[in-house]
Amino acid sequence: MYVEIKDLCFGYTNAKERTVRDFNLEIEQGEIISILGESGSGKSTVLRLLCGLEIPEKGTIHIAGRTMTDERTFVAPEKRGIGIVFQDYALFPHMTVYENVKFGLKAWKRKDRSRRVQEVLELVNMGDFSKRYPHELSGGQQQRIALARSLAPAPELLLLDEPFSNLDADLQVKIRNELKAILKKTGTTCIFVTHDREDSRALADRMVTMRDGASYDWDSLCTTREEESQKPELVRLK
Amino acid sequence: MKQVFRLFSFKAEGLVEKDVSSLNVLRRLPAYRNSWSILSLIIVILILVPNVTILFNFFTNKAENWDHITEYILPDLLKNTSLLIVFTGLLTIIIGTSLAWLISAYDFPMKRFFKWALILPLAIPPYIAGYTYNGILNYTGVIQTTLRNTWGIEVDQKYFDILNLPGAVFIFTLFLYPYVYTITRAFLANQSASLIENARLLGGSPLEVFFRVVLPISRGAVVGGVSLVLLEVLNDYGVVQYFGVPTFSTAIFQTWFGMNDLNSAIKLSATLMFIVFSILILEKLLRGRKKYASTTAKARPLRAVQLSRGRGWAVFSYCLIIFMLGFLIPLIQLVDWMFLTFEKVASPEFLTLIWNSLFVSLAGALLIVLFAVIIGNFARTHQSRLSKSAAKVTILGYSIPGAVIAVGISTVFIELDSGLSRFYESTGMESRLFLSTSLVILISSYIIRFLAIGYNSVESGFDKIGNKYTEASRMLGMNMTKTFFKVDVRMLRAPLISGFLLAFIEIIKELPLTLILRPFNFGTLSTNAFKYAGDEQIHEAALSSLIIVVISAAAVFIFHQVLEKESN
Repeated sequence: MYVEIKDLCFGYTNAKERTVRDFNLEIEQGEIISILGESGSGKSTVLRLLCGLEIPEKGTIHIAGRTMTDERTFVAPEKRGIGIVFQDYALFPHMTVYENVKFGLKAWKRKDRSRRVQEVLELVNMGDFSKRYPHELSGGQQQRIALARSLAPAPELLLLDEPFSNLDADLQVKIRNELKAILKKTGTTCIFVTHDREDSRALADRMVTMRDGASYDWDSLCTTREEESQKPELVRLK
Repeated sequence: MKQVFRLFSFKAEGLVEKDVSSLNVLRRLPAYRNSWSILSLIIVILILVPNVTILFNFFTNKAENWDHITEYILPDLLKNTSLLIVFTGLLTIIIGTSLAWLISAYDFPMKRFFKWALILPLAIPPYIAGYTYNGILNYTGVIQTTLRNTWGIEVDQKYFDILNLPGAVFIFTLFLYPYVYTITRAFLANQSASLIENARLLGGSPLEVFFRVVLPISRGAVVGGVSLVLLEVLNDYGVVQYFGVPTFSTAIFQTWFGMNDLNSAIKLSATLMFIVFSILILEKLLRGRKKYASTTAKARPLRAVQLSRGRGWAVFSYCLIIFMLGFLIPLIQLVDWMFLTFEKVASPEFLTLIWNSLFVSLAGALLIVLFAVIIGNFARTHQSRLSKSAAKVTILGYSIPGAVIAVGISTVFIELDSGLSRFYESTGMESRLFLSTSLVILISSYIIRFLAIGYNSVESGFDKIGNKYTEASRMLGMNMTKTFFKVDVRMLRAPLISGFLLAFIEIIKELPLTLILRPFNFGTLSTNAFKYAGDEQIHEAALSSLIIVVISAAAVFIFHQVLEKESN
């Protein structure tokens, strides 16, 4: 398996109950997975655990054959080769679009960098905007730049945190379709979390539903839904 | 079968839970293995050691004069300290909250000017204010000379003598009330609009609104402000020494240097520390769970009511009197004395004093900002109990009086020096007390005492930018340090500058630490002013004092401008 998450547990310091409880998931290379759940179900936390921005209490994460977290290992976020688009994009306000996209390319050869920036900007149809600052862009444009920025270093895994929540409805549908095309074109393995069933259906190859992580009800802990059958099916039984 | 399995898994969960929590620490360890957390812990330990030393020695070391002190001196110290605290506390509350309320709720002549001018007394250190007022009021001062020479009136000296406890309260009140005023005003201006407008609509008279609504809701802010005032009073050495009111600060000086009994000084320091902690605990209790920031996001500024002509001018006069007493009168007097003595005082040696002051203030403030940034970055990237306590310790130093810090840090440095004595011998150095007599000890003490000021500023800056840019940068392959220089610092420019400025001012004004810990023959503007004043050469002290006041006042002004801009 390309991505393997086993028995992942995590609770925030101030919270009484764990946000993520025995979370299991396996993903194949090139798959687009959506994690569907209501707010507070712990879906964004799973992304943060994958990134290494939070440290799990228990469980293991393997990505592309590398162990990211287990009892002994903890790979720092910057060494995981994961790209993420945050819900509010987090474009650096003191850098232009060009500088933002180039930011993650320090491992690339100097002469390849600007070519790569231009390439991913073209990919998201923002080729003419490289000199602008983030605040000079609309919400949809910012979203594309954030996507371009995380795609630029060619990450092994791309994570999207509620990618459409800050866009209005028309734009949402348009960008959704474009995004699917871009991801398939680049062959990127992708996990995105959303609370919108429509988004999930339109974009994902496979859906995973997450409910109240503290629940002991095994059926709702972590299930996949095949799009056609709409029947709940257990991912893995212990 | 499934039922059984579920039951079993439930039990297993409970067992695993305990194991996990202990394992968890180990799992989190690798994330702490970076230079930021290690540096932070070192800094925190450096801050803690002197203070812990004092508390520890209180219970262990025997002091030769301690019995004598507890019997004859301590009751007096406790009496004076309580009187100073109670009366200064009450008076600053009255003046601070009344001014804050008038400025936030009403329009009257020159209100915009008073809004920031009423903070200016903070620019005059109380010890400078103290000898200036004594100089104005004493037999040779401007008031009595004018009365004598112009109208031939001889006054009874007892009405003009301020070198006593009420005089010290007068000085502390006038020059420390801005702490209550600024915090309460910020609260009233931003947080209270709907409550106060409702009270007005319900037909409350202005006085009713003030006592039944304004005071209760701003309790948290007032308590916060007044506890700062009390900590300043406990920290003070200059005023109480000059005014002849024995307190803990003066007693620590006296036992240490007069009786040469460091152990008694340590015991006194520990006692004072217990008083400080009681004040801090009392503050917590009084403030309750109310912080003085509202939780709701949309805070509407309070709309000011236009006062009638007569009332407007009455309020104007009240503000003017406080402003004159707290800033203008001492300032004019200092300028006058400065011209009288300028030629005598201004000399190449005086330039050295300025240079010394600038040097220690710059070095101290720079290090404070640097340390504040390191701990601040650690605290926000590792949300854990450890990082939170690191942040708390950082703030601790600000509440501990200068004399106490001086005792603690000296004890530690003398130990250090005796530990290093072999090393000194081998390098052929003459001094056995190299560290304890160098600038290192002085600047370290500034850092311990004022780190909180830099830290608060840096922390609020970090709060404002949040973690998202840092996280984005790390996900793009930059490590913490590179992220810090490429992303964080660029966004933190304003809070870094303001933290630096605030720390700089505090250090340039500082007296007790500088007096005790400065190297031999090393003077600063503040020690120079204090020395002249102590030698009955009040006029000669004016130049040093004025430089301090002008620098501080400029900073207060800049600060107000920055804050106004941000709130708009």
